Amino acid sequence: MGPTSGGGWPVPADDFSPELAQASYEITLNHAEIADQLGWNWVSVAEHHYAPFSISPNPMVMAAAFSQRVKTAKIALMGPDIPILNPVRVAEEFAMLDTLTGGRIVAGLMRGTPNEYITYNINPNESRDRFEESLKLIKMVWTEKQPFGWQGRYFQFRTISIWPRPVQDPHPPLFMSGSSMESGKFAADNKVGIGFAVTTLEAASKAAAYYREEAGKTGWEPTKDNVIFRMPFYLADTDDQAVEDLKVAGAAKFKGIGTLNPDMMRVLRQTKYFSGNENRHREVQQAATELNDRVKLGQLLIGSPETVIKQIEKIRDDLGPGILDLTNAGEMGDKTIKSMELMATKVLPHIKDR
Amino acid sequence: MTDENIIPGAGFEEKFAEADGFSIRYMEAGSGPVIVSLHGANGLRLSRTHDMLAESHRVIVVEVPGFGNSQENTRAEDMKDLAVSILAFIEALSLETLNMMGMSFGGKLALTCAILKPEIMESIILIAPAAIRPDRTSENIPTHAQRAAALFAHPERQPSPNKLSAEIIAKQEDLVGRTMGPGRSEAFEAKLAELQVPVLALFGTEDILIPPEIGKYYREILPNCFLMIVYDAAHAIDADRPEAVTELIQDFVVRRGDFIVREVDDTIHP
Repeated sequence: MGPTSGGGWPVPADDFSPELAQASYEITLNHAEIADQLGWNWVSVAEHHYAPFSISPNPMVMAAAFSQRVKTAKIALMGPDIPILNPVRVAEEFAMLDTLTGGRIVAGLMRGTPNEYITYNINPNESRDRFEESLKLIKMVWTEKQPFGWQGRYFQFRTISIWPRPVQDPHPPLFMSGSSMESGKFAADNKVGIGFAVTTLEAASKAAAYYREEAGKTGWEPTKDNVIFRMPFYLADTDDQAVEDLKVAGAAKFKGIGTLNPDMMRVLRQTKYFSGNENRHREVQQAATELNDRVKLGQLLIGSPETVIKQIEKIRDDLGPGILDLTNAGEMGDKTIKSMELMATKVLPHIKDR
Repeated sequence: MTDENIIPGAGFEEKFAEADGFSIRYMEAGSGPVIVSLHGANGLRLSRTHDMLAESHRVIVVEVPGFGNSQENTRAEDMKDLAVSILAFIEALSLETLNMMGMSFGGKLALTCAILKPEIMESIILIAPAAIRPDRTSENIPTHAQRAAALFAHPERQPSPNKLSAEIIAKQEDLVGRTMGPGRSEAFEAKLAELQVPVLALFGTEDILIPPEIGKYYREILPNCFLMIVYDAAHAIDADRPEAVTELIQDFVVRRGDFIVREVDDTIHP
């Protein structure tokens, strides 16, 4: 059995439906537009490959589509997965998006899930080193106005001078994953914001404390807006209704993101993509899939507006993120849109600036 | 030669040349097109870049009169005086044309030599050059100890440095203080603006003495300058990333500005 023969990822495209893909994009674009009109502060996109979950292998393209519909909210890219991409191209595309949106782009630079390294045939052992080099290069591409070359370990360019330049000065706000100690320290040393996703509130709070401590050593104090917590949410008028709707939609249990091919993971777990115990710990935590456990672990916001406000207050007290990056738990048509409305009208006014 | 266990410069031979009234010490290895290398303010330091360049070039690493064990240089009042001595040394060795490489303080010296005698310069390679220092006056040059501490991004990969005596340090610091000149000089930069020699200017991402942001000044002022940022290198870029630096220098010395066009065949399998 080879690493891609164990089922899961990559997903064969025999059952691919172009009609369904188009409908999925249309729902996504509509959600972004509605969120903008409801007064949400940002909409976000991500990068995932070779699977029907989150069919957005290039978040830049999706963000460009958003830019034509989302008029006020920021557009946050959580991904590109920079170790597997050309950093100059990434910097150019961000600059284009920042120009298209008049400076409303947020640049989350990610390492991607371990399987993404197979996508473009990049050695996962190089993940962290490629990430760090690429991030520093991207920053310089945005800020250096004289043509310059880059003599890196993994990236080499003899001359770089991008047009257009980002609208935001000096560049769009930067975020990266802060889950591991290595990432937290690198982010702190380089004054980069951090984000947490597919984790637990407890693990994220510990990691954020470490990040703030490391930043303090460099004389920098991150603000609350330097910390993002990403999680799914679903609101209804009552707690019971919310739980019932989610169960009917089959979205109550965490199903993973379609990347856990066991044979492939056996190989990837032996690579330096993983930094140490905390990652193995994370996998165990992610195995908790029951609805009540997910709420307790800070992996899901669910219930009436009053209940969700309390859940958010707990996250605020423990982790203190300035930004909650929320995803719709399941797709339930009008119910999902109502959930977004309830969040915007009944919850956001109570948690903003608190 | 490129074995990490070999002390950098082990293959170089110590020699002396009489020039401009000084007995000038230099280290030499290799054969081929000439590269004359000028050291920084902390004195002569050989790196694996020198070793690797010597595999395809005649590499001559000069000790500027007044540094190391040479007699105190009380005569030189400015950078131009030092350049006159270096040019006399080049003449004494009967070098007709050459590539000149200057590190930090030696970068300013290399540019000053080129201003005085551009016709002999095939190319100039600047490594973390200290010719333009917008945030500093001549009064607040970092000390020997501050510079030594900021040399390497990865000191653990470097051989332990030869400790200089207090007398040598004092002698060198006095000379550097006298000859370094101001951080910016209109007259000097006006001459740089006329220099047509191709210049390769390298800056290290981790250099706190000459941070990479300084690079733009060279690009703006010099008419034929190519700026390269070397990742994960501090002030001694040649020691921190010797393979990366050697590749650039070898390519630039042969192809000069054409080096921006990739020549390497990237075919994976025919």
